[in-house]
Amino acid sequence: MAFSRPRFRSLRTKLAVLYAGLFALALVAIVAVTQVIVRHNARESVMAELAASGTVYDRLWALRQQSLAGAADVLARDFGFRSAVASGDAATIESALVSLRARARVRDAMVVDLEGQVIGAAGPLATAVSQLPFTLSAGRHDAVVVVDGQVYRVVLSPILAPTEIGWVVFALRLDSAEMRGLQKLSSIPLIATILHPDEAGHWVAADRSIAPDRGLDQLVAESSNARPLTTLSLPTGRAFALAKPLRGADGKVTAAMLIRYPTHLALAPYRPISVGIVIAGLLGLIAVVLGSGRLARGIAGPIAALDAAAQSLEEGTRAEVSIESGDEIGRLAESFNRMSAGIVEREHRITHLAFHDSLTGLPNRVSLRQALDQALARSAHNGDPIAVLCLDLDGFKGVNDTLGHPVGDALLKLIGLTLTTLAPDAFVSRLGGDEFAILLSGGFDVDRPRALAQSIVDSLTEPVQTEGHLIATGTSVGIALSPGDGRDADQLLKNADLALYRAKQDGRGVFRFFEPALDEAARRRRQIELDLRQALKCGQFELNFQPIVDLKRDRVGCFEALLRWHHPTRGLVSPVEFIPVAEETGLIVSIGEWVLHEACRAATAWPEHIRIAVNVSPLQFRNSGFQAIVLQALTRSGLAPQRLEVEITESVFLDGEENVVALLHRLRAMGVRVALDDFGTGYSSLSYLRSFPFDKIKIDRSFVTPVASDHSAAAIVRAIVDLATALHMETTAEGVEDAEQLSELRGQGCSSIQGYWFSRPLDAAAAGAYIAAEGVTLAA
Amino acid sequence: MTVRLFLLAATSVFYASAAFAAPVTIDVRGPDGKPIAGAVVAVEAPGVATPPPRGAYSVEQRNIQFQPHVLIVPVGASVAFPNRDKVRHHVYSFSKPKKFDLKLYGREEARTVTFDKPGVVALGCNIHDSMSGFVFVVSTPFAAQTNTTGRVALQGVPAGAVTVRVWHPSIRAPGNTLVQALRVAPNGLSTTVNAR
Repeated sequence: MAFSRPRFRSLRTKLAVLYAGLFALALVAIVAVTQVIVRHNARESVMAELAASGTVYDRLWALRQQSLAGAADVLARDFGFRSAVASGDAATIESALVSLRARARVRDAMVVDLEGQVIGAAGPLATAVSQLPFTLSAGRHDAVVVVDGQVYRVVLSPILAPTEIGWVVFALRLDSAEMRGLQKLSSIPLIATILHPDEAGHWVAADRSIAPDRGLDQLVAESSNARPLTTLSLPTGRAFALAKPLRGADGKVTAAMLIRYPTHLALAPYRPISVGIVIAGLLGLIAVVLGSGRLARGIAGPIAALDAAAQSLEEGTRAEVSIESGDEIGRLAESFNRMSAGIVEREHRITHLAFHDSLTGLPNRVSLRQALDQALARSAHNGDPIAVLCLDLDGFKGVNDTLGHPVGDALLKLIGLTLTTLAPDAFVSRLGGDEFAILLSGGFDVDRPRALAQSIVDSLTEPVQTEGHLIATGTSVGIALSPGDGRDADQLLKNADLALYRAKQDGRGVFRFFEPALDEAARRRRQIELDLRQALKCGQFELNFQPIVDLKRDRVGCFEALLRWHHPTRGLVSPVEFIPVAEETGLIVSIGEWVLHEACRAATAWPEHIRIAVNVSPLQFRNSGFQAIVLQALTRSGLAPQRLEVEITESVFLDGEENVVALLHRLRAMGVRVALDDFGTGYSSLSYLRSFPFDKIKIDRSFVTPVASDHSAAAIVRAIVDLATALHMETTAEGVEDAEQLSELRGQGCSSIQGYWFSRPLDAAAAGAYIAAEGVTLAA
Repeated sequence: MTVRLFLLAATSVFYASAAFAAPVTIDVRGPDGKPIAGAVVAVEAPGVATPPPRGAYSVEQRNIQFQPHVLIVPVGASVAFPNRDKVRHHVYSFSKPKKFDLKLYGREEARTVTFDKPGVVALGCNIHDSMSGFVFVVSTPFAAQTNTTGRVALQGVPAGAVTVRVWHPSIRAPGNTLVQALRVAPNGLSTTVNAR
């Protein structure tokens, strides 16, 4: 059989059931055992009583025999009686027997003589008794006979003269009256019944009060040797019983006496004890159930409270458990409270971190977006304007680089504080790095964005004292207003950013409102970027070549490669327009690579004395693979390295001299020539001349244009040329447009010139034609 | 027990034809197979007459006892019951062969009873219940008591059918007597009688 263990949802029920069950089991066991013991004791004591009654009965039996024998003896020893028996004087004997019956108070008294003649009785009893003296074994004077279903106890007393001449016989009928007399002698309400075998051999009561019963048969059978006590189930009810076998003349058990004691009577004295025990058990059980419930409540109650609290914590509600005890559960509750408080605190912190900037404590970009979205939603409702101010510190990178990040961080904190002070009516956030954004919403004054921007710019113009440093700073501010400058957060932020960009372009330390033109420009740049990528793929680029004339030999010594973009719809796009975009987006690297390859390839068609000069953007130059690109261009085209001239501007040195110089040396080692472009426009051009032995210096057109008319310009050019000569560098003057300039430059010893005086930039074919026709022109 | 053997055999043998006389040995055994001592064995042969009483028979009362305990006498013998005790006795018998009642009598007061029928006569004293004695009245010369081994040997019993009576108080039979018909061979008889 399979038992499924009950499952409890609550600890309280589980505990209650477990405890109550265990205790109840123990109690029931105790009660059961006690009951068994009581019953056993009751049985034992009743049995003992019964056994005692049996013994008493035996004694009575013997006494009865003695008294009967005594009575008989008196008669049997009477000389006259003996004489009467000896002489067979029946009349005398009869009359003697009458007085004997009266004296002994026995109904049946008779005399049996040696011939088996019975005097004093007739019928079946006389027949049964007549042979008794002769069949009774020696020494016995007592036997039981069954006559017509009636059981008689027969006691014999010999008549001696002096040998036996006959017997005085008493036949005592063992009937109900006799048994009642016996019952009265017992201290307990015994029931004595005489049994004899029926026709089938089963033992039955002589008065028919007990029907055949197997247990009874067995009891009588066992009683012939011992005197066992047993419990019988009789029609009259259960009873403790013992049987006393009654033997016939032949020594066999002819009848038996059953002494029984009804169980209910026997156990009656013990019933109060049993009932008491059961009641005590029941009371105990009730106490156990109540106690277990209470105990379980005591244990499980706080745990259930903890469970509920844990669940509500899981669902996100902070729950405290009341601490009611100092035990483990109390401590657990304390721990739980601490833990839940910790969880809530950490959640707050995490939430704070998610929405705030850890450095300044200001709301972060995510937070700003939320606030902006909410403000926009409200604005759409009530029409209130919204202003977004984007801020960027000027030159903050320098602070970090020169004074270190801790100072930079301190500065940012200070700025955050300043902004919060300046804009108490606004939502101030830090977007990251040195970028801040301020959101104004909720019905502000029309002039408030401008005034706030102005106050910020003004406030940050002054140097700031932090971490022991006096830092000169400044800020640019871009302002976008809703709904005019956008109706969604993305657009507003973008436009504010564009305005900021413009402010920076306009010299920093200023603020700018967003204008649609800014957006237009930005969109255009974006379009250019997309188009540039397309251009690279589709070959919309083209190189033009502007000759550089070698003045010593009076011939073209070099062509400068110039990039041209033929946009399919916009036509020719100026490099001024797209190069900054290419630089910003990094596309310059790919474009530059294309230029290098194309220039080298074009140059291979020219006479060997003509070189090709290629401008390299600082961004390109900074690219680590630049040397490899150069090598690849040369290898693929088969151009001699000496015919390639790389033109760089001073700005390549802005990221540090060391690496740049090393790269220049490596290029030089390959055989590639290096020219310094736009010489004279930078701040410290001269120092660069010391750091690397350039092959050529290109003199900026700002010095060349006025060279023929302005003495000072001429002097500068002369100084440059002299300097270059001293350093064994060639010089190229740019932007030569007339003969006077040419003669002046030639006079000053300039190595080569470049400009419209000779030629505008030419396409590849024109360049080839130019070379072919060169001799003719120059000669002319 | 004092047993006085009373042999009638000598005269009997004399009267009977010596040629036909044969020795008869009878062993008496009880139900348990043990020999019964003191049992009286009487063999009645047809044609053998009752011997005449010889001499004086007496059963004394001495030390509150009958002496001898068993006395075998021929039919017609007179037996004296002299009282040798200092107390008086009331000797009686309710036995069928001879009922008599010798009222209380004292020392030296001899009483005599003649036993004229064969059979066992049980003697009692009305004063002393413990006193018991027997007078065995026989009509045959062949009667004797068994010895301690339960054996009796009779001489001169004529060959042929005989009736053997064995008496002893312990024999559980009417009159405490076993009656058995036997045949004595010419060379005698040796048999065992088993009491029930």
